[in-house]
Amino acid sequence: MLALLGATTLMLVAGRCVLPAASGEANLKPKNVEIHIIDDNFFLKWNSSSESVRNVTFSADYQILGTDNWKKLPGCQHISSNKCNFSSVELKNVFEKIELRIRAEEGNNTSTWYEVEPFVPFLEAQIGPPDVHLEAEDKAVILSISPPGTKDSIMWALDRSSFTYHVVIWKNSSSLEERTETVYPEDKIYKLSPEITYCLKVKAELRLQSRVGCYSPVYCINTTERHKVPSPENIQISADNQVYVLKWDYPYEHTTFQAQWLSAFLKKIPGKHSDKWKQIPSCENVTTTRCVFPRAVFSSGIYCVRVRASNGNGTSFWSEEKKFNAEMKTVILPPVISMRSTTDDSLCVSVGASEESENTPVNPLYPLIYEVIFWENTSNAERKVLEKRTDFTFPNLKPLTVYCVKARALIEDDRRNKGSNFSETVCEKTKPGNTSKTWLIAGICTILFSIPVVIYVVRVFLRCVKYVFFPSSKPPSSVDEYFSDQPLRNLLLSTSEEQTERCFIIENASIITEIEETNEIDEVHKEYSSQTSQDSGNYSNEDENSGVKISEEFLQQDSV
Amino acid sequence: MTYRCLLQMALLLCFSTTALSSSYSLRSSQSRDRTQVYRIGGRLSIVSCLRDRTDFRFPQTLMKRAQQFRKEDAVLVMYEVLQQIFGILTRDFSSTGWSETIVEDLLVELYGQMNRLEPIQKEIMQKKNFTMGDTAVLHLKKYYFSLVQYLKSKEYNRCAWTVVRVQILMNFSFLKSLTGYLRD
Repeated sequence: MLALLGATTLMLVAGRCVLPAASGEANLKPKNVEIHIIDDNFFLKWNSSSESVRNVTFSADYQILGTDNWKKLPGCQHISSNKCNFSSVELKNVFEKIELRIRAEEGNNTSTWYEVEPFVPFLEAQIGPPDVHLEAEDKAVILSISPPGTKDSIMWALDRSSFTYHVVIWKNSSSLEERTETVYPEDKIYKLSPEITYCLKVKAELRLQSRVGCYSPVYCINTTERHKVPSPENIQISADNQVYVLKWDYPYEHTTFQAQWLSAFLKKIPGKHSDKWKQIPSCENVTTTRCVFPRAVFSSGIYCVRVRASNGNGTSFWSEEKKFNAEMKTVILPPVISMRSTTDDSLCVSVGASEESENTPVNPLYPLIYEVIFWENTSNAERKVLEKRTDFTFPNLKPLTVYCVKARALIEDDRRNKGSNFSETVCEKTKPGNTSKTWLIAGICTILFSIPVVIYVVRVFLRCVKYVFFPSSKPPSSVDEYFSDQPLRNLLLSTSEEQTERCFIIENASIITEIEETNEIDEVHKEYSSQTSQDSGNYSNEDENSGVKISEEFLQQDSV
Repeated sequence: MTYRCLLQMALLLCFSTTALSSSYSLRSSQSRDRTQVYRIGGRLSIVSCLRDRTDFRFPQTLMKRAQQFRKEDAVLVMYEVLQQIFGILTRDFSSTGWSETIVEDLLVELYGQMNRLEPIQKEIMQKKNFTMGDTAVLHLKKYYFSLVQYLKSKEYNRCAWTVVRVQILMNFSFLKSLTGYLRD
């Protein structure tokens, strides 16, 4: 009981000690902590939760998300105000998530940590204002824009060439007239009036991340007075077969012109590139407002071209830069094709580069494939084949037939390039072919062997027909075996002789011998039922019965 | 129309890989045996720089997940890779180890490709039609940042450039595979 009371008292006391401290900490803890990053400048802002002015300071720590290594945030230790600048933190990587925590301190008491939600500095950073340098001409202003942040900026280290810039320009006298243009780091704003004060401001944008920066301060500049020698205008460039034609407008005569070119990619890189402009060959000191130069000057790519005029009064400013896309579709010459017939029923085709292509600078870096069209000379049916090899065969063709082929070269993987023209058509006749000869020989042999067989079959067939429709009178051989005696055989089968019976009229005794003869004959007749008759001379089965009857008559006569 | 230009990527890669490999030859050659030349020339510089190798941690997940990319994400990724390679090469024209002509031609080509992708990329950003694209871009930025920091720390010396060149070639093969997926 006592122990229970003691324990309860102890707990209450402890609670009393703890609770005030907790409430005190809660009062100190900062609120609404925010991070502001502009370029490489990192700011932390918060609100103090305690209203009374006390000796409260704030300290912050940071760590990379995932590690367990809180470090003191430089520039944010024991800060009495509501913000601190921790730009000196040397973040090795602004693309990794950072954790921040901040707490308040009053004497020896510290509040609990306020943990800021982890963030990626790069994604939180705002794009600051770019640095702008201006130079004036009579009708244009030259801009030199440096990317936001310093040259050694960590935040924009990867994006220095990726910024695009938006310029807003207006006449100082009337702020209504505004023009917005998207410019490169080194660019010009044209179509201005001479001797006017123009003001402008510039902001940078990272298009890929949809992030727009703050505007720079306003810069103002006066354009110069009108130049004595005006710049050429309305530059046009067009392709014509193997050349480019560069044209421009100029109001005056007796002027020489000069044209220069630059690879457009250089304009994306901050910094001056005035020394990178190069003369266009055959466009130096031309007196006409056009010049022509070979296409080979520009390999495929995007270029900028500018022109300036000069006469006795001086040299003009450079004209507006004209961008053009030299889609130098590599001129591919048609291939040389040859075809020959091989021993099988096939044709071997060989495709090669033309002799001319070895002299012209055809770009060897593009692998070629060949579109081959193959057809039988007499028909219109064409077969189209894409071949990478230079030697290939068309097999299984008809022998002794003329086939024709033509081919053109294409750049593999570049369907936009229509390739070369077709080569000349080459025709070739296939050989007779061993296979047909073989068939011929086989056919002949088959015929030769089959003749006796056919003859034999025909003979058998005729025999059957003869047997059925024109039978012989010979008995079957089995019967023949049974009745091997000649007279019987004669009786049964022979039709050549007629069995005649001799009849004699008995008038005297001399007749007895005759009767004996007939008796003999009768006796013979008694043993056998069948008998021949003499009636009509025709032998038929029906007469057998009559023959029997006749023998009966004889017997009756004998008995008489 | 919008995506047909992506077929040009293969052209770029054919051009660039052969261009880069041919730069190793002692004279600018038009020989077809480029791989042979690459091996002979490349070996000399690479072997001596082997100790300078660093793991830059190219986002391997990108390679694996490339097939799952939608066209919008793939365009953003490709544009970012092109842009970053452009950025790295423009830092120091002369000491990349490749001849300046080669580097300039490569930059011209990269710029041309970016130019072609720009209208598509603008459209995508306007429609906000990307899902994985921006996280992929962030991973890529980490990787390229480590490359740039490495070059800076080594003061753009020959070996550092050798190591980075190898990375660039690897990037081209990644682009090539991405183009392949897009084409299908």
